[in-house]
Amino acid sequence: MRDAGGRTVWGALGELSTPAELLRAARGLREAGYERVDAHSPFPVHGLERALGLARSPVPWFVLVLGLGGAAAGMALQWWVSVEAYPLVISGKPFFSWPAFVPIMFECGVLGGALGAIFGFLAMARLPRHHHPLFESQRFERMSDDRFFLSVEAEDPLFDREGTLALLRRLGAGHVELIELPAPAVPAGSAEEA
Amino acid sequence: MAHAPERPLIDPREVSLPEGHPLARLSLVAAAVGAVVLAAAWGLGGARFYASYLTAYVYFLTLGLGGLVFVLMQLVTRAGWSVAVRRLAEHVTGTLPLFLVLFVPIAVGLADLYPWVGGVADGGHDALLAHKQPWLNAGSFYVRAALYLVIWGGLGWWLRRESVRQDGLAGPRAVAITRRLQIVSAPGLVVYGVTVTLASFDFVMSLDPHWYSTIFGVYIFSGAMVGILALVVLLAAALERGRGPLAGLVTAEHYHDLGKLLFGFVVFWAYIAFSQFMLIWYGNIPEETVWFAERLEHGWRPVTLALALGHFALPFFYLLGRDVKRHRVALAAGAVWLLAFHYVDLYWLVMPSVVEGFSPHWLDLATLVGAGGLFAGALGRLVSRPALVPVADPRLPESLSFENV
Amino acid sequence: MLVTGDPGFHGVTEVVVRPVEWTPPIGWYVALAVSVSLLGLFGISIGWLIWEGVGVWGNNVPVAWGWPIVNFVFWVGIGHAGTLISAVLFLFRQRWRTSINRAAEAMTLFAVMCALVFPGIHTGRPWLDYWMFPVPNQMAMWPQFRSPLMWDVFAVSIYGLVSLLFWYLGLIPDLATMRDRSKTKVRQWAYGIFALGWRGSARHWLHYERAYLLLAGLATPLVLSVHSVVSFDFAVSQVPGWHTTIFPPYFVAGAIFSGMAMVVTLMVICRVVFKLKDLITLLHFDRMARLILLTGSIVGLAYGTEFFVAWYSGNEFEMFAFLNRAGGPYAWAYWIMISCNVLSPQVFWFKKARTSIPVLFTVSILVNIGMWFERFVIVVTSLHRDFLPSAWDYFSPTLWDVATLLGSFGLFFTMFTLFVRFVPMVAMSELKGVLPEASPHHHGAAEAGHDEGAQYA
Repeated sequence: MRDAGGRTVWGALGELSTPAELLRAARGLREAGYERVDAHSPFPVHGLERALGLARSPVPWFVLVLGLGGAAAGMALQWWVSVEAYPLVISGKPFFSWPAFVPIMFECGVLGGALGAIFGFLAMARLPRHHHPLFESQRFERMSDDRFFLSVEAEDPLFDREGTLALLRRLGAGHVELIELPAPAVPAGSAEEA
Repeated sequence: MAHAPERPLIDPREVSLPEGHPLARLSLVAAAVGAVVLAAAWGLGGARFYASYLTAYVYFLTLGLGGLVFVLMQLVTRAGWSVAVRRLAEHVTGTLPLFLVLFVPIAVGLADLYPWVGGVADGGHDALLAHKQPWLNAGSFYVRAALYLVIWGGLGWWLRRESVRQDGLAGPRAVAITRRLQIVSAPGLVVYGVTVTLASFDFVMSLDPHWYSTIFGVYIFSGAMVGILALVVLLAAALERGRGPLAGLVTAEHYHDLGKLLFGFVVFWAYIAFSQFMLIWYGNIPEETVWFAERLEHGWRPVTLALALGHFALPFFYLLGRDVKRHRVALAAGAVWLLAFHYVDLYWLVMPSVVEGFSPHWLDLATLVGAGGLFAGALGRLVSRPALVPVADPRLPESLSFENV
Repeated sequence: MLVTGDPGFHGVTEVVVRPVEWTPPIGWYVALAVSVSLLGLFGISIGWLIWEGVGVWGNNVPVAWGWPIVNFVFWVGIGHAGTLISAVLFLFRQRWRTSINRAAEAMTLFAVMCALVFPGIHTGRPWLDYWMFPVPNQMAMWPQFRSPLMWDVFAVSIYGLVSLLFWYLGLIPDLATMRDRSKTKVRQWAYGIFALGWRGSARHWLHYERAYLLLAGLATPLVLSVHSVVSFDFAVSQVPGWHTTIFPPYFVAGAIFSGMAMVVTLMVICRVVFKLKDLITLLHFDRMARLILLTGSIVGLAYGTEFFVAWYSGNEFEMFAFLNRAGGPYAWAYWIMISCNVLSPQVFWFKKARTSIPVLFTVSILVNIGMWFERFVIVVTSLHRDFLPSAWDYFSPTLWDVATLLGSFGLFFTMFTLFVRFVPMVAMSELKGVLPEASPHHHGAAEAGHDEGAQYA
């Protein structure tokens, strides 16, 4: 929503000092019916996922699929090289020396799984995202140090400038603020081109 | 700083089987049945009896030894999570003295089992056996076996007795018992490592006295770990279901941890098994490969494949997911499966070295039932009386309240 | 105590970030200068090797594998403790790992770098090293996958990559801390790029924790497999003293043993120089010393088993190999190995020794010396006298062997010295997460310092 200065409000931010406060406030927001809520902390807070109603992470599936795929690829590579592409008789061992192929197959499986974990994490966390409205807040810098934050996005149906801030204060936030975005600059003459 | 509670956290009677519970009586019945079946098998069995009996003996012995190492490991690492289930492993450990008695048939049938018995049997032509004679002879074998069994039996009995004694104490006296158990656990592990390595060479590896593998002791250890973790899961599940004495104390968190360890040791077993196989396959030296060659011929090949599938591949995928490990019944089903395949593993280790070709025999079942009845009887008796949880252990509160990631 | 002095979250940040933000003490510059000089020696040794050829080393026939492979195994082994601390201790919920895991993982990365140099340069024609990789080439030639040396290429490279990924994942929240504290645009930009825009969101943490747990679960069998593959270099052969099935778990235990010792060496120095004594406490050293005693005992058990089975086997070549180790021309190396690896860690049965910095430092150095000698004994004694006495010969290292080994320490310490200057060397977010204050059930100062069960240790 825009205000008189043409600036869009992204949402509200409340600052708390302990994990217990964060948890209580998060539950309070959810009970009040807010959905576009997020919490920010310097380390994972136990119980926060449940308080925010977050679903289980699907990252394990990335790991499983890419891990098995990696192992299969590793075995397929060795099979193809040793049986099809360049068969060599090495100390009388069969072309498809599967016991000798297990170590590399295993390592390729682990590599696939590890890549699955990293890319799964990045994909699900929607990172990298170097620019985010929250970074406009000065106080938010303490997110990575020793403070805990709750954010409510303006897109939440229940969002109200004064009401949400007041609720955050009631729930124990020591400091609350609105996070604003500067409105995008309109280049001269673009109205005709649009 | 927290202090050890002044009274045990829980009344020991609340976490024991109730008075008059049929388990004590059933244990006696199981033992009696076991003894009868065993006697009949021995009487009727002939030479084949000893091979079947050794398999069954080593099977239950590895469960007892698994219990011993599990308890020692939990004590030496000052683990908190496992306190709620450690007493179950202590009960299993407490069966170890029984194996001194159960060794008698093996002692009697030594000549039927081990080719090196009776000096150099074939008139001195086997230079290898002649070379090994200082170690592989009946006399020193009996002495060593007695030593292993007395040490294990003594250690197992003592660990359980001290832990049970702690139930009646509180405050600093309870803590003193924990400290004593901890102090013993580290040298205990050293003794365990040496005795299990040598015993596995003596009891199982020397069945094929021309063969050797330095990793053999580790292999037996890894199988024992799978066995004990599966057994503890089963015991916990049995005592927790319905409104059993462990209900509310053993939770999904404990099953999850036991399941994680079970998964880990299934993988570890496979790693040791594969290492042993691959290195011998790769070196292709006949005096080593003969052991595996025997297990890939004469009807043993399907058993080998079944072992790889049933002891590793299938349990790997079954225990991979989080949900199965947290679900009592699902995990217990996996535990039963693995206990069955632990037997297959030992059967596969022992039998091909003693009998010609894969030939399952009624004696295999009879000795399993016989030794099993006696083992179950002893275990049942040990479980039926004291508390099923070390109520005065200072780490019990931690065990009851931890949560998994 | 996990952490002494009750610093609180902000205190942890300040203590850990200080070495990265302030002007380093003179000692850091001295360390860097020494390390870079050794690195220069490394460069010269490698350059001379590539120019003149492998003959500059002492490798001969029959000891065709000399110091280079000993150094390779040595460095890979050291790397494994980092993964153990990061991954295995994480899986076992050992909270004390959080003070040392960042530095230990960094140690892994640098050790793997040092390790990979040796196979790279020892091939005789290093410009053809690309033949080891399965890439199509104009000769339609492919690597020979049945060779354990190929397994090494995959195992150690993948180990390096996965360790890097794991280390980096753990670093992201701390890079965000550095970014948020930056006073200059350059720093903000540098840390910010790699922090990926981390906001500490609950959603971030949700996926992060799952990924971290799974990486730990993958890294654990990886550690076992990598040093097992390294042991396969020897065990798949038919050489007496090499071809023995216990090598895989024995090498893994030995690797963790030597790596733990290196972590102790590094942490003894770092906690003093960088004023981290409240975060890296005597409790941590006590735990590490116990792990050193445990893994050292496993190594000792393996030595005993090998010796016994060498006799039991009745194989005269195997028996000779072991008698030759203990009593032959390299007996001096063997007994250095035994005293450093089996005897010296025994002091750690005593708590006084486990918590005495001078003892810890001394034993850790001795263990690393002993473990280098273990690989030397394995490689050289088995090769210099195997089946045929007419093929026997003695091996002596050359000055270039020594220079290359010393130079590799230069690479390691240069990387580590730079690391402590530019990257927070303690995992701040992880450490904060295990403090008592981090639990939502914490009720103020009354419970501060409660480390359940530790008092019964």
